Amino acid sequence: MEFEGEFELEDVPPEQAWIVLSDPVAVRDSLKGCRYIVPMDEEFNFDEYEPEENLETLPDADPEVVADRAFEEGKRYAALMQIGVGSVKPRFETTVTIDERDDENFEMIASGGGNASSSSFSMTSGMRIREHETGNGSRIEWWTEADISGRIAQLGSRVIKPVADKIVNDFFSSIEQQMTDVDERADAGVTDRLRNLL
Amino acid sequence: MADRRPELTEVSPVSSDPENSAGGEYHHSEDGGPQPEKHCGHGRGGMGEEVSRKEDRRFITGRGNYVDDVKKPGMLHCELVRSPHAHARIEEIDGSRAMALDGVVAVLTADDLLEYDLATMPTLMDDTQDVLVNDKVKFQSQEVAAVIAEDRYAAKDGAEKVDVSYDVLEPVVDAETALEDDAPLIRDDIEGKEDNHCFDWETGDEEATDEAFENAAVTVEEEMFYQRLHPAPIETCGAVGDYDPGKDKLTVHMTSQAPHIHRTLFAQVSGIPEHKIRIVSPDVGGGFGNKVPIYPGYVVAAAASYVLERPVKWIEERSENIQSTGFARDYDMNGEIAATEDGEIRAIRVDVLANHGAYNAAAQPSKFPAGFFNIFTGSYDVETAYGSLSAAYTNTAPGGIAYRCSFRVTEAVYLVERMVKVLADELGMDPADVRRRNFIQPDQFPYESPTGWNYDSGDYETALDEALEMADYEAYRDEQQRRIDEDADKLLGIGISSFTEVVGAGPGKSCDIAGVEMFDSADIRVHPTGKATLRVGVQTQGQGHETTFAQIVAEELGIDVDDVVVEHGDTDTDPYGLGTYGSRSTPVAGAATAIAARKIRDKAKSIAANELEAAEEDVEWDRESGEFHVAGAPERSVTVTEIAAGAYMNHPGGEEPGLEAVNYYDPPEMTYPFGSYVVIVEVDRETGEVEFEKFVAVDDCGNRINPMIIEGQIHGGLAQGIGTAMMEQITFDDNGNVTGGDFMNYLLPTAMEIPEFETGHTVTPSPHHPIGAKGVGESPTVGSPPAIVNAVVDAMAHAGVSHVEMPMTPDVVWKHLEEAGLERRPAQNLEFELAGDAGESVTDDD
Repeated sequence: MEFEGEFELEDVPPEQAWIVLSDPVAVRDSLKGCRYIVPMDEEFNFDEYEPEENLETLPDADPEVVADRAFEEGKRYAALMQIGVGSVKPRFETTVTIDERDDENFEMIASGGGNASSSSFSMTSGMRIREHETGNGSRIEWWTEADISGRIAQLGSRVIKPVADKIVNDFFSSIEQQMTDVDERADAGVTDRLRNLL
Repeated sequence: MADRRPELTEVSPVSSDPENSAGGEYHHSEDGGPQPEKHCGHGRGGMGEEVSRKEDRRFITGRGNYVDDVKKPGMLHCELVRSPHAHARIEEIDGSRAMALDGVVAVLTADDLLEYDLATMPTLMDDTQDVLVNDKVKFQSQEVAAVIAEDRYAAKDGAEKVDVSYDVLEPVVDAETALEDDAPLIRDDIEGKEDNHCFDWETGDEEATDEAFENAAVTVEEEMFYQRLHPAPIETCGAVGDYDPGKDKLTVHMTSQAPHIHRTLFAQVSGIPEHKIRIVSPDVGGGFGNKVPIYPGYVVAAAASYVLERPVKWIEERSENIQSTGFARDYDMNGEIAATEDGEIRAIRVDVLANHGAYNAAAQPSKFPAGFFNIFTGSYDVETAYGSLSAAYTNTAPGGIAYRCSFRVTEAVYLVERMVKVLADELGMDPADVRRRNFIQPDQFPYESPTGWNYDSGDYETALDEALEMADYEAYRDEQQRRIDEDADKLLGIGISSFTEVVGAGPGKSCDIAGVEMFDSADIRVHPTGKATLRVGVQTQGQGHETTFAQIVAEELGIDVDDVVVEHGDTDTDPYGLGTYGSRSTPVAGAATAIAARKIRDKAKSIAANELEAAEEDVEWDRESGEFHVAGAPERSVTVTEIAAGAYMNHPGGEEPGLEAVNYYDPPEMTYPFGSYVVIVEVDRETGEVEFEKFVAVDDCGNRINPMIIEGQIHGGLAQGIGTAMMEQITFDDNGNVTGGDFMNYLLPTAMEIPEFETGHTVTPSPHHPIGAKGVGESPTVGSPPAIVNAVVDAMAHAGVSHVEMPMTPDVVWKHLEEAGLERRPAQNLEFELAGDAGESVTDDD
């Protein structure tokens, strides 16, 4: 199944959008049904891991901390997602690897997969942030190729697509709010410092 | 007491064997033609009486006892872990997270079953299926592991915690792609297997058929796909395995249509001796062929009970039932007819591509890999015919079972009845006339078909004429033309099907399941007070056996139907039989019941002579009064009830005491019920919706035991036929996901979709059957789909439509309407406006 889309963020320059989208905690907060996105090692156990709650994000968070936890190319992350699709609400234990991360062009490609009790998926996703043609704001292009098996896939694309669309739309409107907050409240030095740290 | 409106029956041909055939006992005529109706019932609930179903008391008061009602002390629950992938190699199964949960007792995988040599099981077609996947998953929802827990919740929670890592492989879900050279190999477990080819099969005379086609004035050809269906019984499959280590005996309560053969298979698979296994099939909530095969869940429940020494229950969910248990059909057929210009059929040729799923697990007599598909010449006297078939393995659930039909008869009848309509349209003839032109005539019976079937009896034209008259056929033909002429919004279509079935499998010389001949059995005991217990080797899933079989005994012994109790479904107490499917219960076990009863009557006669102080040769049986009397002195009579007392309390010297008899009946031939259905539909040119205007079903199942039960059977089967034609299909996506695997996506008809049925009947007894009966339960599912499709095609035939694939959902029909230029679009300037707070309103400005 293939999904793709485009999102415009008024007034948020690509640099700032990139910083927010590089923060696993900011992404987690905007992604409905996502309990955590954390770096995973061999020992990681989905059952036992308890995510830290109330983690601060920009503009309140310490830029050093944010820079430290930002997505890294080649690194694996564990994500726990619970998504309701029709009558099914599986809890996906998901592994994501950042395959490519280009700080200059603001491009990121990630791949991964997840399992729930009776469903599984694998996917590759990409995103690129460009400056908006108006010179004010950003344009974010994203795409996903997903192979879905099991109970969720059985519901068919007519059920899955609207759910996927809603998740993505909710995600971007929430992330836009975070970016606007950063833009309005953080002093200019913070984003510049982060730019250098990342 | 039951409502017993007496049945009026017609009469029928004569048989040569006066004792065990219809001819000797019933009202028959010399010429076999329609006869004046005669009274058949005697008021005791015998043959032909509409006795209310004895079993309904418990069903409608909620006192049925289904497998899920079976509760045992200390019982554990089993949940199966199923593969989300259609084709994948298992790398690792880790049950540790499941075992850590409260209440989880065990996680079983193929490795555990291998220790007991239970990792695989034979299918009914001699293939080998994994009980739990050992190496490679071959279809989505295949059984990978089992979690056994103290309750059902813990079992389900545990199943979610079993970690299985898969190496996902490319799947192939349709037969055509599966047989391509570069298709992924599914059955690498079969040594030397290099492709997905399952088997080839052919029937008839290819050369003669080809020649007939070369010389034919007219030939027609049509491709049609009989889609993948599921029987979807309302009760899903389930089992309670209950091993008793004290007695070293395994009892399995299971949803089984064939408990005895399942016991034999359990013995063969498990190594537990057969006499130490008891299969109990309690009340079963619909089978329709779905509960004939053995499924992994049954084996796991039994094996887990054996290992853990506690009862283990496994109950399937709805989607598990549809996605993993025996599907039906999935036959891609190409039909051809060679005919003369005036519609005489000279030859029929058919080629089939069959999708058998991941294993060859069809449930049918072993010598018939394509079931009874070679009955595809139907009700027609055709000189020559040829059929060929290739079957493929695919990454889909195994099956090809007989969903409410006798082993692929449904596919055969669909093919021939559709092809006759195609021929009629090609020739511009009335399809009823084409049928009349080609029917096997009553005087041709017994009739041998070009593919080797020996039809017992039939009178097809009478049934067709009856159906056409009931449907007011000619008037509707006029109305159809009027609507065409006036360019009406709704087109009318009239569809006919004049089907012949082959049921009652079957003669031991040709029919076996897993090697066991397909006889059936009855064991009657008349107790000292004259009450009787009948035990039969078949099993009921709602067909009303407890009533109809009691009626046969009541008829044969002259006792009241309420004085007979019927038992079945317990291998410890019932005589061995092959089970209920393929409309075989009445033709086979019904015959055994009649013959066992006649054996009792023979013995009763000698006791009667003793009681009446008359010579045995002077004692006569009077079927009407249900008594023995002295010849010429009807007042000197004695009933079987009185004789029973004599058999136990005053038995004649030289005779054994008691009054019981057993019969194992090997049918000499199959039986051939038939009928004609006429379906009239309205097709909406704007929406593609199909409405039933009239639905007439005339059935002939030979002598009728309980007309009310027959009518119920017909109604139910017609509903399923409508589901088949209009709604049902199991579909897959390219990844092998089942996209029609639950009741949200696999649509069953409800009362909303079912029209009023008009049923009629003719009676042409089977000459070789002891009570002249033929079996009826499957006629409507077999006969109705082609009538419905013929009707929808007929509505558009004037614009060149020759075929519409099932299921004929509105979008499918609409596409044909559009292609034929018949579609009607809504008025262009129809506007929808939102009227603010007043809610929605629709305005048509036109």
